[in-house]
Amino acid sequence: MLVAMTKREPGTTAGNPYPTGVRATDVVAPPAGESVGMTFDAQTASPIHPPATRSPAVLRVSGVRKSFHRGIWPRRRTIAVLNGASLEVHEGELVGLVGENGSGKSTLMQIVVGLLKRDAGEVDRPARIGYCPQTPMLWDKLTVDEHFDLFAHAYGLDQEAASGSVDALFSELDFARYRGYRIEELSGGTRQKLNLALSLMHEPELLLLDEPYSGFDWETYLRFWEMSERRRDAGMGILIVSHLLAERERLDRMYEIRDGRVGGC
Amino acid sequence: MLSAALPTTGAFVREHLRAPLTLALLVAIPTFFVLIFASVLGDFAKALGGTLMSRSATAISAGWAAAFLAGTLAFFQVSSSRGADRRLSAAGLGPWRVASARIAASLAIGTAVSAVAFGTLWLRSGIGHPLHAAVAILSFAVIYIGLGALIGAFVKGALEGSLLVLLLFSLDAFTSPEMTSSGAFAWTPTRSAAELLIAAGGGQASPAADWLGMAVVAVGALSVALAAFWTAARTRS
Repeated sequence: MLVAMTKREPGTTAGNPYPTGVRATDVVAPPAGESVGMTFDAQTASPIHPPATRSPAVLRVSGVRKSFHRGIWPRRRTIAVLNGASLEVHEGELVGLVGENGSGKSTLMQIVVGLLKRDAGEVDRPARIGYCPQTPMLWDKLTVDEHFDLFAHAYGLDQEAASGSVDALFSELDFARYRGYRIEELSGGTRQKLNLALSLMHEPELLLLDEPYSGFDWETYLRFWEMSERRRDAGMGILIVSHLLAERERLDRMYEIRDGRVGGC
Repeated sequence: MLSAALPTTGAFVREHLRAPLTLALLVAIPTFFVLIFASVLGDFAKALGGTLMSRSATAISAGWAAAFLAGTLAFFQVSSSRGADRRLSAAGLGPWRVASARIAASLAIGTAVSAVAFGTLWLRSGIGHPLHAAVAILSFAVIYIGLGALIGAFVKGALEGSLLVLLLFSLDAFTSPEMTSSGAFAWTPTRSAAELLIAAGGGQASPAADWLGMAVVAVGALSVALAAFWTAARTRS
């Protein structure tokens, strides 16, 4: 069951996006089998329809199904991971996606990015998206700068735009001193900084972050949220896979995938 | 497309050449094959009732060195970079351009490997028809780029994949022309290239059928490699 648990409503503050007295962690999920296409009030769990003034959606996922076929006969198994996932992310929103291990969060992200095919359903997303995978997908023998060069070509950035963007990211994440280092020479945290920076260097309209802060120290972790909030405020739509309860207060809305069964909001 | 493919190709080549052990093996394996494997191959040929002479065995060993190295490196080009290549492809480069850059990188490495094998053969025994031999050795490399990439696209484990490359290589090498008295293995991927290399080593020209056969297999291997690299970089089902 994919459930929209919270949302930021008019009248809330930037620091606490929820109505007075309501915190994201107070929100309860609606019962299993609730209808698709609704969000729910934090206190009553009754459906709330999106306000008319809501910014346009940058991501619409509807009815996505995905199964994996593993092993060979006679141990061939079909594992249904997503069974009708639906969600939306709007411009200027920081949306969380939570769920147990193996519930299909990363699968859903990879389907949106285009790394995985879906069995059914629709994904409507902009061409310019950024994706930060859970495990850094990098080339061990190439340097940090060479990674930026490769992705600048992939994103179609000219040298000037790429250079400006990369310098800003080095400064934001504080890892410019490693630009000539090969990936195999970097710590896990610095690899993760590069992993994140590669998803941001072209200023995407939609940013997909799959547990992007694993390996970050506390200071970098806080800086990461500042970066995300700045981009959210500038209009970027952000979907982030998150596990930590403490993070829920930073999110505008949150979806949950439960028991590998997927509903929608 | 070319402007994007060239820096990508350069990066993919550097990725492999920055491994010091790989660089050492690029020299050590051709030397080992031409100096030692050749005599082993000759002994096996005698045991199997084949007619492979010492000079022919030396010549064909240079081809096997190029094949083994190019095939193994092509396998690892797919196997070790699958996730990063797919991410780059999804970021906008697309699977065809990633695959083209991988093919170009494999060919560059295959050419370097072939040059080392050719040089080793030249120093060891001299070559009657150097140009023929160079083309044949390069064909060995190209054919194994296809096989290595194909295995890499479908076998995820590094151990399983490299063992499979080794198995194919062993079957191919020990059933090559003049190795056995029987015609049980009348066709193997490198058959024409091997015939041509044996002839070139002895200073003899080869019939057009061997050139044609070698060209057809080499072009087919390149097509297989392109498809394999594309498969590894595309959206997975």
